[in-house]
Amino acid sequence: MAATRGLWRTWSRWSPRTPLLFPVAGRPHSSGPRTSLSGPPWPQQPSPVPEEEERGRHAAVVSTVNRLIQQQDFGRLFAVVHFAGRQWKVTAEDLVLIENHIEAECGERIRMEKVLLVGAEDFTLAGRPLLGKELVRVEATVLEKTESWPKVHMRFWKRHRFQQKKIVIQPQTVLRINSIELDPRLS
Amino acid sequence: MVFLTLPCWIRSRGPDRYWKVQEVLKHARHFRGRKNRCYTLAVKAVRRAFVYATQARRLKKRSMRTLWISRIAAASREHGMKYPALMHNLTKTSVQLNRHVISDLAITEPRSFLSLAKLAQARRQEGFNAALGDGKEPPGVFSRIVLLQ
Repeated sequence: MAATRGLWRTWSRWSPRTPLLFPVAGRPHSSGPRTSLSGPPWPQQPSPVPEEEERGRHAAVVSTVNRLIQQQDFGRLFAVVHFAGRQWKVTAEDLVLIENHIEAECGERIRMEKVLLVGAEDFTLAGRPLLGKELVRVEATVLEKTESWPKVHMRFWKRHRFQQKKIVIQPQTVLRINSIELDPRLS
Repeated sequence: MVFLTLPCWIRSRGPDRYWKVQEVLKHARHFRGRKNRCYTLAVKAVRRAFVYATQARRLKKRSMRTLWISRIAAASREHGMKYPALMHNLTKTSVQLNRHVISDLAITEPRSFLSLAKLAQARRQEGFNAALGDGKEPPGVFSRIVLLQ
């Protein structure tokens, strides 16, 4: 029953008031002249690849990357690591300056666990959002813990006799990234 | 004869005026003109310099972000995508890289950036296919999408 409660349409079910703007994209029909409104304004999408072919391509890519990883056939690795509230693009032998204090003594080795992306010359492994801890290992050493140079924080309003000066010194830590390792077990 | 009024005329006005003045002038030594030598002018110039530095530290974060965004937009247009499409589809695939890192990848790791662009493109296509539908009527409903020829 079309006129039951809860049905607020002001037109009957059998005759649509507003004609459809475009013909449905899945039904190309060649009848009638081609006007500016005979097709959708977005560019024609390429026909979707059949699923078996897609799966075949994905399997080929995965097996290639697996082979490269198992034979350790890559040169230098880079990784994107989330550390101290920031993301860093890091390689081996990199120096990283962190603007805060880290609970580790000088000379201690640290493992960075939140790895977002790892790449080599021929392949990239992107985590969604993180990569597994068994897959990548990023190690760093704490080199030094210092303080920053004294930064001046000054506020001044003219004609209001308002002037405040504060010297801000922040603790800093310097890390050296020792190595990035990939584990040859990839699903 | 003992003159007692002479010592009362000599006042010690503050023994460290020189160092207090140098404290301000040392921040003005690289300025141009008399601001780097004369204390009265230097005080005003140093005050302005400190205030500008404080404000710039807040603005630097904003301008760096716009720089990253324009770099990512340029790099994604090289691969046939636009910036909003790229970022939206990357967040939809739950890749949580920030603009700083993506712009660095676009500069130093072009192949990785290409792979991210292709990932976003594929996700975008899936979104379009899901939105456009299969062209079939939803089951069980006399659909309004029937064409009136």
